[in-house]
Amino acid sequence: MIKENCKLAIISIKANKMRAFLTMLGIIIGVCAVIAIMTVGNSMTADVKKQLEGYGVQNITIYINPIDYNAELSEADNENMQFKPETLHKLSEKFGKRIAGVSVEASAGSGSVIVDGKKANVDVLGTSAGYYKANKIKILNGNNFTEFDYEQGKNTAIISDKFVEQLYGKEFKPENLLGKELEINIDDNYLNVTVVGVYEYKMEGGMKGSNKNITTTVYVPLKSAWNLTHSQEIYEATVVAADGENASVLAEEVKNYLSELLANNLGDRFTVEAYSNQSMIEENTKTMNQMTMAISMIAAIALIVGGIGVMNIMTVSITERTREIGTRKALGAPDGMIMLQFISEAIIICLIGGIIGIALGLILGNVAVHFMGYAPHVSFASIYMSVGFSMAIGVFFGYSPAKHAANMNPIDALRYE
Amino acid sequence: MSKDILLSARDIRKSYYVGTPNELEILHGIDLDIRKGEFVSIVGQSGSGKSTLMNILGILDRQTSGKYVLDGVDISKAPNKALSSLRNKHIGFVFQTYNLIARTDAIANVEMPMLYAGVPEKKRRQRAIELLEMVGMGERMHHTPDELSGGQKQRVAIARAMANNPDIILADEPTGALDSKTGRLVMDIFHELHEKQGKTIVLITHSNELAAETPRIITISDGNIISEKINDGKGVA
Repeated sequence: MIKENCKLAIISIKANKMRAFLTMLGIIIGVCAVIAIMTVGNSMTADVKKQLEGYGVQNITIYINPIDYNAELSEADNENMQFKPETLHKLSEKFGKRIAGVSVEASAGSGSVIVDGKKANVDVLGTSAGYYKANKIKILNGNNFTEFDYEQGKNTAIISDKFVEQLYGKEFKPENLLGKELEINIDDNYLNVTVVGVYEYKMEGGMKGSNKNITTTVYVPLKSAWNLTHSQEIYEATVVAADGENASVLAEEVKNYLSELLANNLGDRFTVEAYSNQSMIEENTKTMNQMTMAISMIAAIALIVGGIGVMNIMTVSITERTREIGTRKALGAPDGMIMLQFISEAIIICLIGGIIGIALGLILGNVAVHFMGYAPHVSFASIYMSVGFSMAIGVFFGYSPAKHAANMNPIDALRYE
Repeated sequence: MSKDILLSARDIRKSYYVGTPNELEILHGIDLDIRKGEFVSIVGQSGSGKSTLMNILGILDRQTSGKYVLDGVDISKAPNKALSSLRNKHIGFVFQTYNLIARTDAIANVEMPMLYAGVPEKKRRQRAIELLEMVGMGERMHHTPDELSGGQKQRVAIARAMANNPDIILADEPTGALDSKTGRLVMDIFHELHEKQGKTIVLITHSNELAAETPRIITISDGNIISEKINDGKGVA
């Protein structure tokens, strides 16, 4: 019976190809929009997630915030919003092996290095020992800073392989620079550092540009940066949870511990915040999904308009075929069969439209994603949803005209002119 | 005698606009019995109520009052839902305007009543081929209605009417749209069905000439049966 109905529907669609296509157009545009938007949204979500994961899922960012954001902050307040090195030290001791490290960074400014007429732009960043773990920095040659470097604020530096390439070319072996001195020009002040290590440069996600213009980072011990800038402010630190620790749970514990420890400084005006990257990833994914859904809903309006087009055509088609319906009834077609015939027709129109829409949507979405510089990420859920949705539209908007056809009085239908 | 009565109508009345001041009675109490194997013509001018009567006999419409029993089933008591199945099994229609389904070939048209009766595809096809060959349309089984002449269309329609081997064939002005030559051909098929297969056929027509071909002639005028003749084949013009 279903097969027969599908055959009948296809015959009828073939007989009115242009009309069927125009009807499908609404569905095609609607489904295409939904799929394209979902593909772009999914690719963006996946990309951001990957980036955040690159920063480490085990990272917990801690900082102190005023409870009232509009409150005027005094000099003393500013002090209250900073972490002291002792505080972070206590934190490390308290949580022991559950923490893989605490990362603190301080910018020492931006500058450039010139060697034999070649110039490379650099940011100089003071780092604590935990920084390399928190940011997954891989040392290729040489070593990380020693305890001694950190304590004394020695002018030692870790540079990137990209930086070496910029100054010395691809052929040059980076290890030849170990132990050598570099002169960094920061705002017309010269900082001389000894290279102790070379790390692997990682391209920022989505950014594409020529090698020459890339600004790489030169790492120095935290204290060295402080010495350079004459300040020791720590507004933010990253706690790296040890492998196997649940970062979200640990974040809560860290927050509670610091709140207690700093109770005197915080008073009732400040609060310690501790966010794990994990929860940020989750929140971000949630927000992105919500946004994608919201935009998709707007696109879905196009689908509904398309559905009304289907309803319109079905009504016309049934009026045109009133005598046919009458004949079928005279030959003994039960009402249910007549209804099934027209609903099948609506479903097939919507389904064909849906499939074309999916194909176009995938093409459009992937082209858009390509130009936005993300890795394409097709949402299969959206495909299933669109197919289901377009069939549902067929049933929903086909039902009323089909019901009308089924309920026709055979004699009235036969006499219809 | 009652045993071989196929169709029995008693005091059939049909009114339109029932209950309004414009109430209009078209049929004023028709009594009619048709036996199995009869070939009956119902003759009348247009507006006489013969088409209304055919619609009621064909269960396409319900009478306003009166009793109609078809093959032992009291149609007046049958629920609306059962009517399509009753038409499907008991009645074969042949219309003046053929009413073939457009864009559907002859064989599919003949298969249609069997499709609705739930006959399996192979059997359907086989019977449709047999029927089309019977009416001389074996060569044109895969032609769609717009590729067929009027006479050919009507022959397909007769094959379709025979599909479920109905108790009765109701033919409403079957030659009305045909020239006399093809009309003759169609009438010959009816005679053949009646004589060779013993089909019960009711022919509705306005033509006395056509009616004269049938063994029993019922004349209807202004919603009443005014005469009934047994035509023994002698002295027919």
